[in-house]
Amino acid sequence: MERDLRVYRALLLLLPGAYRREHGEELERLFRDALGDWRRERGEPGAAFWLAVAWDTLRAAAAEWWRALGEVARPDPARTVGEQMSSLVGDVRFALRQVVRQPAHGFMVVLLMAVGIAGNAAVFRVFDGLFLRPLPFEESERLVDLDETAPEWNLEFVGIAYPDFVAWRRSNRTFEGMAVLSTDGANFYDGTSPEHVSLVEASHDLDDVLGIEPELGRFFTPEEDTPDGPQVVLLTRGFWERRFAGDPSVVGRTVSLNGRTREIIGVLPRTADFVADVDLWLPLREDPDAANGWYLAGIGRLRDGVTPQQARADLLAIHRGMIEERDVNEITSPVVNSMRERHLGDARMSSAFLFGAVAIVLLIACANIAGLMFARALAREHEIAVRLAMGAPRGRIVRQLLTESALLALIGALAGAALGIRGSGFLVGRLAEQLPAWVRFDLDARFLAFTLAVTAGCTVLFGLGPALHAARRTSPTLTGSARATVSARRRRALSTLVAGEVALAVALLVVGGLSVLDAHRVAHIEPGFATQGVSTYRVGLPAARYPDSAARLAFVDAYLERLRAIPGVEGATVSNNLPLSGHWGWFFTVEDAPERAEGESNPVVLMRSVTPGYFGAMDVHILQGRAFDDFDGREDSAQVAIVNETFVRTHMADGRDPIGRRIHGGGGNPWLTVVGVARDVKHYGLDEPMRPGVYQPIRQVPVSVFYVALRTAPGAVSPIPSARAVTAELDPEMPLFSERTMQAILDESLWTRRATSWLIAAFSGVALLLAVAGLYGVISYSVAQRTREIGVRMALGARAAQVRGQVVRQGMAVVGAGVVVGLAAALAMAGLVSRILSQVEATEPLVYVGVCLLLAAVAVGANWFPARRAAALDPMTVLRGE
Amino acid sequence: MLPRPLKPQWFHILLALAARDLHGYGIQRAVLDQTGGGIRLWPAMLYRSLGTLEEAGLIRQVPTPAGEPEDERRQYYAITPAGRERLREETATLARWVDAAQELEG
Repeated sequence: MERDLRVYRALLLLLPGAYRREHGEELERLFRDALGDWRRERGEPGAAFWLAVAWDTLRAAAAEWWRALGEVARPDPARTVGEQMSSLVGDVRFALRQVVRQPAHGFMVVLLMAVGIAGNAAVFRVFDGLFLRPLPFEESERLVDLDETAPEWNLEFVGIAYPDFVAWRRSNRTFEGMAVLSTDGANFYDGTSPEHVSLVEASHDLDDVLGIEPELGRFFTPEEDTPDGPQVVLLTRGFWERRFAGDPSVVGRTVSLNGRTREIIGVLPRTADFVADVDLWLPLREDPDAANGWYLAGIGRLRDGVTPQQARADLLAIHRGMIEERDVNEITSPVVNSMRERHLGDARMSSAFLFGAVAIVLLIACANIAGLMFARALAREHEIAVRLAMGAPRGRIVRQLLTESALLALIGALAGAALGIRGSGFLVGRLAEQLPAWVRFDLDARFLAFTLAVTAGCTVLFGLGPALHAARRTSPTLTGSARATVSARRRRALSTLVAGEVALAVALLVVGGLSVLDAHRVAHIEPGFATQGVSTYRVGLPAARYPDSAARLAFVDAYLERLRAIPGVEGATVSNNLPLSGHWGWFFTVEDAPERAEGESNPVVLMRSVTPGYFGAMDVHILQGRAFDDFDGREDSAQVAIVNETFVRTHMADGRDPIGRRIHGGGGNPWLTVVGVARDVKHYGLDEPMRPGVYQPIRQVPVSVFYVALRTAPGAVSPIPSARAVTAELDPEMPLFSERTMQAILDESLWTRRATSWLIAAFSGVALLLAVAGLYGVISYSVAQRTREIGVRMALGARAAQVRGQVVRQGMAVVGAGVVVGLAAALAMAGLVSRILSQVEATEPLVYVGVCLLLAAVAVGANWFPARRAAALDPMTVLRGE
Repeated sequence: MLPRPLKPQWFHILLALAARDLHGYGIQRAVLDQTGGGIRLWPAMLYRSLGTLEEAGLIRQVPTPAGEPEDERRQYYAITPAGRERLREETATLARWVDAAQELEG
């Protein structure tokens, strides 16, 4: 009973205070009676009861507030000004009354505020998720990303080699723990339909580093993390729910993965998705003596108080100490980065620019609101002067005017925040797909605090100036020349405000224009490969079923033959990699090439293993020599290679004909004869530089997981369903995965750039709109103020065209000043702006001129209407009116 | 002036008070009985209705009648002559509607 009553009392807080104080006791009594009845009739009150009570209270509250508001808005001559303002509540009520009296003014302020806040709320939500929200782990600030770097190979990050990791883990003094992992895929088959599952292969200590515990069962033991350890698997929470319906008895059961049986030892919590959004975790089972290659990602937990720099120095000493056994450690070196810096560092610049853009929009909105508040204060000058004369303290009036501003700002901010949350929904939805799973965009206390702080800041920004101005002790009876002087000063102040708005809008428009132009140019860079009519997917050949090269090649041959027979398919190819889809680095030396000097870089080479049909299907041009044919790579013929243009530049700079020269891929690999030079493709992104590349026939490098690309006539139906059927005919346990068209892959690679540039452009458009609205307002105000002067001039013979011209000139002077300042600001920022551009100079004259023309056109429009009104004045009416 | 016809809950409050003076809870019980459980007046809106009817002069607050327990200081309400008059008018209107409807059906 007591608890129910407390809930009801809380509900009653919705009612206006006065009403509650007067009738609250009676209401509580009625509630108690109703509760008693309900208990007798229907038993313990549930949702139905509380819904009815809440609805009842809400309705009454709405009606009573409506009534109270009506009373406030009705002027009450019995109350003195002093009484009305006796408390903050009084101020709010008074403000409400003012707002209700001038709904158009209030609406404009709320609208401007909503527009300004919406963008900020939306961008802050993204920024918060990317850079502010702590990772979902205990003391997550001590977690760092580990990797190796090799500038000599032209690689910023090469991945960690397992022997290096083992040494680091054994000898370091700066980490509480460290772990490595790699991601992979496998075919999961339970007898119904094959599914490709994604895997994490983790070292056994990853749970300690992250501080996670399996929800069911246990994590890997050190024994399981050895090459001959037992075959075990952990399920991720998502996979467990999807595939096993959350059945807790799965622990101890076995599953078949790539044809091998493994025991399920537990289920991971959702936080484990931090590492990668995958289905299953396996122990890494790597052998420190046999492992080669750099392919592992590392996560470390620093000891308390250790900086990433100290940790790096520690690891570097260990790394260098191994040079005797591992001379490659002279080239590689460990790197320690914060998780965010490593994975989101690239986004920092563009989100900073987005933030700048929304801040400018908000500033312009505030300037416009300040203008409105100013005009409003002028209209109330008389009322305020009377109040001051009656002895109201200045501070009180300032506070009251500020309350009015704050009230409007708060209403606008609420609307804006709602708009921003909705607007950012689509953005964070797309972003989340492209970012690590630990980046989350849920709303949190920081979002609330930010929105409130910005709102408060805006209130001061647009409210304080006009409030102080209005409360200045001016005599309300200024006349004649004194009034003219005052209004001229006011016009100047407003003009400065608008010129400032124009300057901000111009600077933002330049940045928006540059980034849109840049995105446009990037999107139109010739990729060097076919994007239209190319469907791609991946398949993997499990070692258990395809144990050797012969088996894999036999599959590829039979597979391609069937794929080519699909109606509409004009070309089919299989490759370890497609453009925009990953990197496999090799190192090559060229026969008879001059030795590289000590310390000279030996850039890493992109290795692609392809079938002869690759160049035709992907439309990659052979510039010199020939493409592969069906005989290349067969054991009885010479081993061959095709190199790309960049390879010729970086590895064959001596200028001799590349065709017929021999290159070597290191280790036990055979010498390869170059038979062709292929055109560079934009493998790493349209705006990324190409690396040297070598193609080999798939016969020479028979990979087991590969991409399939099917070329059809543009606009033809997707060949994927037929391809799936063909695959099932050959191997019913083989799933297709990563099915995407080449165009979709390309679009995705451009999405972030496009989204950023269009957002900046959209915000600059809003900024322009707001600035022009401000301009229009100020010119209209100034024409209204100078009605008499204009009337006199027309009476003295000024023609309409002259009056129009003068008004427009005056407006354009304001605009001109703003444009000059804005362009100068944009130029001053060029160095910064160039960091988000790749194909456009930050000083591109086209954009600057375009912005000037756009602004001039819009500004003439904004000036024209007030000017026409001024010219249409009838001088006689004006003068008679005086 | 209250709208014609009266909202159902107002009509039933007047009807309940026409029989005898009641306090809020009593009104709530009476209305529930009158309507066969059809209209349950919840506290806040009941209170608002009472305020509205009182402002319109159809009911008034009265002291606790003799013989009733006074410990809870419940506010009693009584119907005014204007309230009775309005109740008659409303009932007549309703009766006409019922007649019209029955003629159509008969």
